[in-house]
Amino acid sequence: MVVVFFIVSFVMYFLFNLIPSDPARLELEEMKKTLRPDVYEKMYRDLRESMGLDDPIIVRYARWLGVIPEKSGEFNGYFQANFGYSNFYKKPVVNVISAPIRTTVFMNIFATILALGITIPLGIWCAVHKGSRRDNFVQVFSIVGYSIPIYIIALVFIYVFAVLLRWFPVSGIGTPGANYTGLRAFLDELYYLGLPLIVMTFASLGGMSRYVRSAMIEALSMDHIRTARAKGVKERVVIYSHAWRNALLPVVTLIISWFLGIFSGSVLVESTFGISGMGRLYIQSLSNHDFEVSLFVQMFYTVVSLVGALLMDLIYGFVDPRIRVNK
Amino acid sequence: MPEKKKKPSIWRRLFGNRNTETNILAEEQIQSPGRMMLSNFLHNKLGMTGLIIFLLIFVFVFIGPYFIQIDLGDNDNTQIHVPPINSMLEVPKELDGNIQDIAAGATFGLGCDKDGKIYIWGYTKITDTIDLKDIPEEVLEAKIVSVAAGYDHAVALGDDGQLYVWGNKRLGQDRIPQELKVSRKKGGKNIIQIEAGYQCSGALTDEGNVYFWGNTNMCDLDVRKDYREGVKKFAIATYHYCLLMEDGSVVYGGIEKTNAFNRIPESLSSGVVDIAATGDTMAGVKENGEIIVWGNTAHSENKVPERVSAAEADDEEPVMTAKPLEIYGGRYHYTALMENGDVVSWGDNGHHQIDIPASVNEKDIETVFAGFYQNYAVDVDGDVHTWGLKGHPLGTDDLGRDILTRIINGGQITMTVGFVAVIIAIVIGVIMGGLAGYFGGKVDMLVMRIAEVFGAIPFLPFAMLLSAIIGTRIDVTKRMYLIMVVLGVLSWTGTCRLIRAQILAEREKEFVTAAQAMGVRERTIIFKHILPNVLNVLLVEATLSFATCMLTESTLSYLGFGVPLPSPSWGNMLSGANNSIVIQQYWWRWVFPSLIFGICTICINLVGDAIRDAVDPKSIGH
Repeated sequence: MVVVFFIVSFVMYFLFNLIPSDPARLELEEMKKTLRPDVYEKMYRDLRESMGLDDPIIVRYARWLGVIPEKSGEFNGYFQANFGYSNFYKKPVVNVISAPIRTTVFMNIFATILALGITIPLGIWCAVHKGSRRDNFVQVFSIVGYSIPIYIIALVFIYVFAVLLRWFPVSGIGTPGANYTGLRAFLDELYYLGLPLIVMTFASLGGMSRYVRSAMIEALSMDHIRTARAKGVKERVVIYSHAWRNALLPVVTLIISWFLGIFSGSVLVESTFGISGMGRLYIQSLSNHDFEVSLFVQMFYTVVSLVGALLMDLIYGFVDPRIRVNK
Repeated sequence: MPEKKKKPSIWRRLFGNRNTETNILAEEQIQSPGRMMLSNFLHNKLGMTGLIIFLLIFVFVFIGPYFIQIDLGDNDNTQIHVPPINSMLEVPKELDGNIQDIAAGATFGLGCDKDGKIYIWGYTKITDTIDLKDIPEEVLEAKIVSVAAGYDHAVALGDDGQLYVWGNKRLGQDRIPQELKVSRKKGGKNIIQIEAGYQCSGALTDEGNVYFWGNTNMCDLDVRKDYREGVKKFAIATYHYCLLMEDGSVVYGGIEKTNAFNRIPESLSSGVVDIAATGDTMAGVKENGEIIVWGNTAHSENKVPERVSAAEADDEEPVMTAKPLEIYGGRYHYTALMENGDVVSWGDNGHHQIDIPASVNEKDIETVFAGFYQNYAVDVDGDVHTWGLKGHPLGTDDLGRDILTRIINGGQITMTVGFVAVIIAIVIGVIMGGLAGYFGGKVDMLVMRIAEVFGAIPFLPFAMLLSAIIGTRIDVTKRMYLIMVVLGVLSWTGTCRLIRAQILAEREKEFVTAAQAMGVRERTIIFKHILPNVLNVLLVEATLSFATCMLTESTLSYLGFGVPLPSPSWGNMLSGANNSIVIQQYWWRWVFPSLIFGICTICINLVGDAIRDAVDPKSIGH
């Protein structure tokens, strides 16, 4: 896991280093006019040397991470919470990203809770009533749900709920000009995030309910269910206690991988609804060539997905006693 | 009786179950797994419907581009945001046989009959508040003898010499010169010709005086002193005009010193009988039938058809079978009426404006009205024949591009990208998965670690990153290949895991053990026993990931990191659509691409599900 982190982060760093840029020259740009060319050239070379720009990429990478010290002797990298400097916003990356991270994390967790609250009962219900007319209807509907890209769902929902019914604002986060505080601010934010959250939830319904359903069908077809039924255990107990526990394992896998998916998937929702979250920040930083910010966001996504994978392994062990976490 | 061997129908031969029917009492026939899968699949109604619809869309987008070619540079400000409409050429029935005058506008037609009644058809909305269909009361009451249509305004002339202008007036389209405002009864001028350019209009009196008015910011509308009298006819291009004088010479009347129209060819200084103008060119017909075109001939307006005798004429190329008498100009094309009553068109054919229907030349044509992309020919019986731009079946976007054309061509790109990406992913996945599954041990470890690394990369952001970093330095075509490769290279891990798991599972099964025990060679076991079992799963995986790849491609394009504009793709057609104005007012811009894309991915997923059910009957839950 740790190795994977280093490899992936190195790949990222390497890719961003493909972008031609020269921080040393940038630093000296203002002095260029006042200095004699040879002095400038010497200063430039000294600066390059002190910044360590001519060192092999692996050394620069290690410095960037904060594993080995800078030329000046102090550690100053990601591990020391130095995420670089945004050229576009003219402030450290840490200050740029704090608000978007809050929005994105809030949105994703909220959407996850909503989606789980709907899909798990739905999936179980479909599995129990497998083959019925209503189940078939839900199945077809869920294929439609997971086939259509989220931004098309978003467009349709904007049209229906924001344009036709005017229940929600079309885009943005927070009423412009309003200075709400406390609960009022929270409700206002919720009002603006309402439609994006509905879209995110709706988009995940199809795939997730199918998955829950198939896991549940698998669990219901096991022998011990038949035994339980034969013993005359109540159907509710059979479903929620005997079968659901066994279906939980694949569902846990799903929940986590899906949670990771919506983190990067929220790029779409954010850019469609004009919400200033991580995804939108990422797109903006890429098109503004503000690469230190992009690099940070990319690292953020990577860490989230790695932590998710780790979590998945741990929960596996927790849910299924047969598996031991040995890594 | 001739011998007639009864062949099974082609459908049966292709898809049908070729087994002979069995007696009910007979034992159930044993089918090979492949055949069973096929019949399972064929009996899945949902899957078959999906397959058929998908194939239809597939044929539609892969054969369509050969019929409806796309011009990537296409950018037409006269056709912006036109809704789905197909009635731009539908002349009202009341007008048929009774036509006095017709004027063709950008997306509409305007006509008046011999009784002075005015008609308008096509798409007439200019802005939210301005609609050319709202003809002013005074125009409806007046007896109209002549009409002219510009881009966003219409001009009509009453029989009393009164001029009327309606439509967009903000740029001076209604600034009629004072001299013309006086009606004839009160001693006003007698107007004999009115024409309209893009946002300007002109009128000619029977005394040979011309007047122009309109958007003076862009148009050269002043008339030089020498040319204010003795004018026989005038023609208006988009922003300029030229005059045909009484002495048969053509002159440029405006005051601009250097532009494309100033340098009128020498030969037009005498003996000219008719003139016309397209958007960027002007043309004159000489007495001997010679047609000379000048101006900015970027749309092959200067490719005047060759003059041949009627016998030599074939249907392939437009030719001139007789001496041309009159000439009419559209936006990028000319239509000429010849001595023998036939017509011929040439110039740009982007909207079929030069494809004259065969029925037109069977009759003797009396006169022609052409403008923008439309042509109306009136024959001696008074019947009207039309050709040119009928409308846009699915509307146009913010640059005036036809949505249908972009859907067809974009579909081809989206599907190709998706297809190639899947192939790349499958190839890498099968090789890696096969290696891991077959060799096991250290190779397995290594491959699985590599897969883990790739799996840890957040897909969408990383693809965006690659496209942003590398994509800006390469040209458009290469960027498309880049997208394919990026998609393929990033999405092989799923296939790899699947193949590995499948191979591992199959290796342990009894039939493999049995084959090994019987001394079947290792290679045969792999190819004959294990591989077919893997192939089924692979087919499902390929189908489903085809849909996923198309989704990802369109997502990237939607965000602006995929297929670069102006190449269309189903994703980037939607990229400008996420604001309330487009969603509400220009609904055709996002509804149609979303619809076809949604149907397409749904169908692919249905097919994938059907194949999965067919391959593994257990999954249906018998």
